[in-house]
Amino acid sequence: MKTVYSYVKPYWLPALIAFILMLIELTVEIVQPLIIAKVIDDGIVVNDFNTIVFWGIVLVVLAIIALICGVTNSYFSSHVAYSFAYDLRNVLFTKIQAFTMATYLKFPTSGLITRLTNDVTQVQNVLFMSLRIMIRAPLASFLSLLMAFLINPKVALFLLVGAPIVIGFLYFMVKKGITYFSQVQWRLDRVNRVLQECLQAIRLVKAYMRNEYESSRFQQVADSLKLDTTKALRIMEIIMPALLLIMNLSLLAVIWFGSNEVSMGNAQVGELVAIINYAMRITGNFTMFAFIIIAFARAKSSAERMKEILIVNEDGLEVATSEREEVKKPPIEKIGTIRFEQVSFTYPASSLQVLSDISFEINPGEKLAIMGETGSGKTTLLNLIPRFYEPTAGRIFVNGRNIIDWNMGELRAMIGFVPQKSLLFTGSINENLKWGKQNALVSEVRLAAEHAQIHETVESFPNKYETRVGQKGVNLSGGQKQRLSIARALISKSRILLFDDSTSALDVKTESALWAALESENATMLVVTQKVRTAKTLDKILLLHEGKVDAYGTHDELLKTSNRYQQIVRSQEEEQVGEEG
Amino acid sequence: MNFLRKPFGYEPILKKEDLQRTPSKKKGPRASDWKSTLSRIWKIVDEQRFLLITVFFMVVISSALSLIGPLLIGTIIDQYILKGQFQNMAPIIISLIGVYIFLSLSLFFQNYWMIGIAQSTIYKMRTGLFNHLMKLPVSFFDKRQHGELMSRATNDIETVSATLNTSFIQVFSSLLTLIGTVIVMLYLSPLLTVLTMLIIPLMFTAMRWITNRTGKLFKEQQAAVGALNGMIEETISGQAIIKAFSQEDRVIEDFREKNARLRRTGFWALTYSGYIPKVMNFLNNISFAIVAGIGGILAFNGLLSIGIIVIFTEYARQFTRPLNDLANQINTVLSAIAGAERVFSIMDETKEIDEGKLPEHTKLKGEVEFKDVHFKYEMSEEQETLKGVSFHVKPGQTVALVGETGAGKTTIMQLIARFYDIENGEILFDGKDIRNLKQATIRSQMAFVLQDPFLFEASVYENIRYGKLDATDEEIIDACKKANAHEFISKLPNGYETILASDGSEISHGQKQLLSIARALVANPVILLLDEATSSIDTVTEVKIQQALELLMKGRTSFVIAHRLNTIRHADLVFVMNNGQLVESGTQQELIQLGGFYAKMLEQTDSFRE
Ligand SMILES: Nc1ncnc2c1ncn2[C@@H]1O[C@H](COP(=O)(O)OP(=O)(O)OP(=O)(O)O)[C@@H](O)[C@H]1O
Ligand SMILES: Nc1ncnc2c1ncn2[C@@H]1O[C@H](COP(=O)(O)OP(=O)(O)OP(=O)(O)O)[C@@H](O)[C@H]1O
Ligand SMILES: [Mg+2]
Ligand SMILES: [Mg+2]
Repeated sequence: MKTVYSYVKPYWLPALIAFILMLIELTVEIVQPLIIAKVIDDGIVVNDFNTIVFWGIVLVVLAIIALICGVTNSYFSSHVAYSFAYDLRNVLFTKIQAFTMATYLKFPTSGLITRLTNDVTQVQNVLFMSLRIMIRAPLASFLSLLMAFLINPKVALFLLVGAPIVIGFLYFMVKKGITYFSQVQWRLDRVNRVLQECLQAIRLVKAYMRNEYESSRFQQVADSLKLDTTKALRIMEIIMPALLLIMNLSLLAVIWFGSNEVSMGNAQVGELVAIINYAMRITGNFTMFAFIIIAFARAKSSAERMKEILIVNEDGLEVATSEREEVKKPPIEKIGTIRFEQVSFTYPASSLQVLSDISFEINPGEKLAIMGETGSGKTTLLNLIPRFYEPTAGRIFVNGRNIIDWNMGELRAMIGFVPQKSLLFTGSINENLKWGKQNALVSEVRLAAEHAQIHETVESFPNKYETRVGQKGVNLSGGQKQRLSIARALISKSRILLFDDSTSALDVKTESALWAALESENATMLVVTQKVRTAKTLDKILLLHEGKVDAYGTHDELLKTSNRYQQIVRSQEEEQVGEEG
Repeated sequence: MNFLRKPFGYEPILKKEDLQRTPSKKKGPRASDWKSTLSRIWKIVDEQRFLLITVFFMVVISSALSLIGPLLIGTIIDQYILKGQFQNMAPIIISLIGVYIFLSLSLFFQNYWMIGIAQSTIYKMRTGLFNHLMKLPVSFFDKRQHGELMSRATNDIETVSATLNTSFIQVFSSLLTLIGTVIVMLYLSPLLTVLTMLIIPLMFTAMRWITNRTGKLFKEQQAAVGALNGMIEETISGQAIIKAFSQEDRVIEDFREKNARLRRTGFWALTYSGYIPKVMNFLNNISFAIVAGIGGILAFNGLLSIGIIVIFTEYARQFTRPLNDLANQINTVLSAIAGAERVFSIMDETKEIDEGKLPEHTKLKGEVEFKDVHFKYEMSEEQETLKGVSFHVKPGQTVALVGETGAGKTTIMQLIARFYDIENGEILFDGKDIRNLKQATIRSQMAFVLQDPFLFEASVYENIRYGKLDATDEEIIDACKKANAHEFISKLPNGYETILASDGSEISHGQKQLLSIARALVANPVILLLDEATSSIDTVTEVKIQQALELLMKGRTSFVIAHRLNTIRHADLVFVMNNGQLVESGTQQELIQLGGFYAKMLEQTDSFRE
């Protein structure tokens, strides 16, 4: 809990002020009945008009003070609560941004979303209430108890007969509550998840007419959420009646044994009556008590969940700067070289080796085609270069320096990356392109778009570069998305470009224009492609098969030496036959 | 004063104009907004009327018992303790034990059942929201962020849940207590009662002032939560890109901004709603002073006995406590309304039009005809995406759609699947207008492999079974073998039982496409739509699948989009799309001889190959 609640610390001053204001308010409240007694006793009873007026004014003044304190408290406590939540969200989000891709696999998106919204809210609510009302009930109860003890400790002691049971019971309930509520939050994750999936796959759901199927799937998770929430709340709901019962029975014990004491002359009647009155006041606070306990249990379970994010350590985070930064960094050799030395890789959660013993080198300005069948590891190989994942064995050099010696930001800035799945974000086309370079000039944006063969298309849209793009680029055609994501990579004028099957949705004409334009970029390129006609125009071809290098060389060399390459060529040659036949 | 206006640097959110109640015109509909939202929630709650009535009885019982308890204690004090008679106390103590046990029981059960009612209501709202979402047209989703919609099913509904759990009982018991005390007060002194009631109009004004603000602020707050949720969902789903472009800082900056908006609205909402108990307390104190003061004067003149004043002030206190509780509940209810409104606003969106009159089980032969179809997307404003497309496809024909990117190929497929409705022209299946057919008729006899493959977080079996819910395991394995996916599936840790990651993020893109094809293979459709179904699959594998696909296409009407021309070499017809128009159509031979677009495309392929 410490890790989460430590974010309240910066707000200790306003929190303290809020607390003091609350105390003042409470004091006024406690004093009030005394003053009213005065009005009655010294004023009304003895018909002293001046006293009535005087204490009446005091009463009004006190009321105003209480109002001012209360209202000001409102400002301070919501400031503390919301600033705390704000900071906590920022910290969590920043932390999540630093996760490695491997860590993401451990936390489902839906779970992260719930933690950042719902869980934070739970904790924030408890904090707000603590600063405003929560202390009140315990404090009032405590004061009443104290008064009872001051009056007659022996009789008052009977009020505490139930205390050990209460403490044990509460301890047990809070523990239970925490487990039940974390179960509830987990269920909420699931609800989030199913909903997210269905939104992402809405076209699929519609195409196969599966809305009812999905509805029943959603009903299942919503039902589990319902059941678990109901269970958790119901169990926690036992607290209030149970506490009340214990307290009321204690009250009866006070009456029963207290009257014994009175009859034995150990206590006075008036004392007993006063203690009974205080006891009844204590019970009056119990609804609040139970409420507090439930809220705390709930907040605690949410805090635990957030803690899971906060405690992710260096192993799960991307290191911005290499540990060896202090040591002299190896010099940069040639800008634009990439070298793989016996690189092997296995995905964190699996046991299957996806890449084994890959070695190759490309020189500045060289263009390497990476080919291979579906699932042979092409994407994985590219993903290793910007360090999305760390190789399990072997080393990778960019510009002559081992990538683990590069500053992460620097390394990625040197690389223009076009992923296999073109993903755009909500915002304008212009904003999306500027991801590659935040301060890009209009001319730069335009140039990158021209090279990516998308400029004309964009110009044909009514709003041109300001056209809104929906989430994931839904309102664009497949080829438009691909070219925009190419433009996004070109804009930074990187010397190294990685294309992961980035022309699959382009027609031949557009594609050839694209490659022609890319010639002028003069960058080192790694191009994953299925098309022999593209590979042929590049300097070398790396043919992967089940994660191993099957062949490496120029088109002509491979044509002679590699069976597999010949097979690929043949599969595309049929095309010609088909067309002509 | 400035501190109150801009405390801690929080800019005020509500502007003067927002609050000025242009009489009746603006206020009218808003008040009824509240009412309609509340009554919609109530309708769902009311479905459990029997339980609700039981809860109500429990509240009555517990209220009565909690009155009887102190009364009996009073009797003990008066009759026994003060008189020093301690002997015969046992019976009354025992009955008190009974009272307390029943009190606790009635409290427990009222909460027990109320939680049940509340959570069922929430469940119904949530599933209702989801069911409705699933029936909304595709265009609805084009303009929304997923996370923003998700927020409605979680964060917004949670506000309703929190309120229903407690408010209902609270309001009930407060009202009961209120009525009870008013009766007693009237009995004691009608005059003082009226005096006490004097503050009620004041309370109303104060409450109005506050709720006018909180009502709006809560809405703002829920909207801010939604926006934040949307942003979180989108960035986390697109994390790889953010990392590739080192955009973490910018995204964090963006997040902070949205987060700050939430803080700002939340701050004000909480601050204003925090006023309520304070202001109520104040008014109580004032009314107290009034009662004491005027009562004193009356007593002074001998119009009232002192005893009555004393008792009365006690009751006046009791009178205001439930009023306070009620006032506090108004806030929670307001926040629930803000949440519920956002849920209902989605449920008020018009569903996908599905007014087909023809019976659902109409069997399609697979004839598809477009007659001068004009279409534009909602989001693309003026621009028409399809500008008068006409064609006719006979049952069982395979049609290849080719053309430059953005020409409108995917759009045609989406129209065949009726994801969108057309503006002008007609789409006919077997000569019947698409609008006369039920959605289910078309979609259940169609399989669509989308340009973006998607897989659910479920086993391979379940993912393929999506195409045909009653497919046997054998059928699925067979389809996977045909789609050439069997080999890689066997290598997965649990084979076909392996749970895939959401969006298939743990397998390769080509593998996703293979599974999507397998899904279409089990569906056994009349009309098959393949939108670049093999674009990421290597050509050697593709040749193997091709045979399976050709087998599949035999006897079915198929539309195929592909940029690799060998994928479509067996097509009966080729439609060439350009800029939203169908510029050429015919067999491959015809088109080559025509020497138009298609011939040029082939030429380009060749020239590029040199
Ligand atoms: N949901 C949408 N909302 C608005 N406009 C859209 C939407 N989907 C597509 N468009 C626009 O309609 C036009 C045609 O898109 P379509 O997806 O049909 O092209 P396509 O021929 O399939 O291209 P590609 O080969 O690149 O996939 C494009 O200009 C695109 O921007
Ligand atoms: N996150 C992951 N966790 C575990 N295994 C993975 C993950 N991503 C991919 N794989 C597996 O690693 C292998 C290589 O995948 P990769 O995406 O590199 O293939 P690819 O060559 O790019 O294929 P394609 O041409 O289909 O895109 C595949 O068998 C795939 O199932
Ligand atoms: Mg790949
Ligand atoms: Mg398309």
